[in-house]
Amino acid sequence: MSKFLTVGSAIGLGSMSLVVMTALSGCGEQEDPKNRFLIIEQTPMGKYTVIEEIPTDGPSRAIIREKDENGRVVERIMSEEEMRVLADQEYQRVQNGTSETTQGNSGGGMGLGGTILAVAAGSLLGNMIANQLMGNKNFSQNANRVNKSAYHADKRAAKSSSKKSFFSKKSTSSGKFSGWGG
Amino acid sequence: MIQTVKVKPIDNETLDEIGFSWHTDSDGTSYVADELIEVSSTEAEAYYNAANELYDMYAEAAEYVIENDLFFELGIPFNLVETIKKSWENDVHWHLYGRFDLAGGIDGKQIKLIEFNADTPTGLFETAIVQWAMLKVNNMDEEKQFNTVYESISENFKRLITLFDDPNEVSEETQQSRFEERYESWRILFSSIEGLDEDEVTTKLLKRMADDAGFITGFEFLQDVQFDDESISDAQNQDYEYWFKLFPWEDIAIEEGELALTLQHIMESQSAIILNPAYTLLFQSKGMLKILCDLFPESPYLLETSYEPLVKKAYVEKKVFGREGANVKFFNADGSVEAETEGDYGHYKSVFQEAFDFPQDGDENYYQAGVFFAYEACGLGYRRGGKILDNMSKFVGHVIR
Repeated sequence: MSKFLTVGSAIGLGSMSLVVMTALSGCGEQEDPKNRFLIIEQTPMGKYTVIEEIPTDGPSRAIIREKDENGRVVERIMSEEEMRVLADQEYQRVQNGTSETTQGNSGGGMGLGGTILAVAAGSLLGNMIANQLMGNKNFSQNANRVNKSAYHADKRAAKSSSKKSFFSKKSTSSGKFSGWGG
Repeated sequence: MIQTVKVKPIDNETLDEIGFSWHTDSDGTSYVADELIEVSSTEAEAYYNAANELYDMYAEAAEYVIENDLFFELGIPFNLVETIKKSWENDVHWHLYGRFDLAGGIDGKQIKLIEFNADTPTGLFETAIVQWAMLKVNNMDEEKQFNTVYESISENFKRLITLFDDPNEVSEETQQSRFEERYESWRILFSSIEGLDEDEVTTKLLKRMADDAGFITGFEFLQDVQFDDESISDAQNQDYEYWFKLFPWEDIAIEEGELALTLQHIMESQSAIILNPAYTLLFQSKGMLKILCDLFPESPYLLETSYEPLVKKAYVEKKVFGREGANVKFFNADGSVEAETEGDYGHYKSVFQEAFDFPQDGDENYYQAGVFFAYEACGLGYRRGGKILDNMSKFVGHVIR
């Protein structure tokens, strides 16, 4: 047999074969999503941003810090179940195309459901939904923008002092080169 | 005529799960056809031979361009010329992979080179993984596909260390392969643009191939990679000996001029190797199609190409660094325009290539073959679309009958 015909079997796909075979057999291998303790703060514009994010072994929880009708800051605790309900409602909106999480530019924050979904979709709704959402460019950018926590910032970049980085404009570039053309 | 066989498609949920999230085009239609093109083993072998021969021709042509200082003719940005020359001088700047786009090849029609995507070729995941998975879900013979892309690129990563020596040859003395003997924990950092899922998934697929080869690897989005004149590191300040960037060299030259200079210094100090190497921009320039014609006028694989419009024959005007079928114009033999596309590449130089019809099916769709090359030709996939294949064209897998 000619050289060009010899592979095509799963062995030729190396470690990727396990990923494909698992997916094709319908029993996806799920990484255990880390639960989160979040502090979510209301902005003066009535939107929400995450100011603290701490991985936890216990159930996910959130403290929502917002202003009451008298302008006083009040805090309430939201359970994992309440968070899941909000995340799920927002995910429904994603599916019918009305969620702000998949729209462009959430610079000023998002609603509470959108904020929770953006930050904790994996732990609340599962990795498959989270991966699918993060595949959406607007969603992944919104998820970055809405999360102001130091934990998230550390994950993104711990810059060294003497070195330079480039491509500053590229994270928001829509100049996609893809398909067969490149 | 192109013959296809209808197959059961892979559902979107499964495609998402394996990472292939760009399965649906913006008009809601599936990007991957639920058909496979039937190719004879003779046709597959002809694609294999064509890509191997064309690569040798490109290597000779690159040597010619460098010796005769023809960078300007190819539209190469001036601030990459030294970097390209430097990368060409030493084999350690190893070309990882590329993709030839070819017309012909079916029904005994001569294979013709359309262009060589040598720097940042896409379509990798579709060709290497998705079309193989289509055989699998349809219980078809997995051996019946010209597709060793995954394994071949993984092997080519090993050649970054062993170069022309067989990386898998085992030494009697140490009982280790050449790669294992020579590899000293050098690291490869992989980078793509944040927010472009297709690029990220493609880059991470390449990272997995390198992992399988035995390399220590990392991933960092482009804007988080750290540079100085002697090193490339990730956000945690870990230095890397190799940096793979899924980002066009010509865009580095134009949009990130300071980085282009930094990368030149990094290469001069031999502190890191950049993949694909800078000389792949020579291959990528469609101006090379004209150089190839000058050097190999008898080659059956080449279409007449010139820097001037052709006379009394149909031809296609393309930009030297155009992508995705943008800024392409089809001219009839009488000089009238038959079809054209708009795009962002109008500022680049033009080349004029003799027109050649792609193979067609019964519905008047056109098909372009893409043959991946990693040290040798290693896999075949097709694009289906209209007269000018653009970013709304479909991926069609194949099966050897």
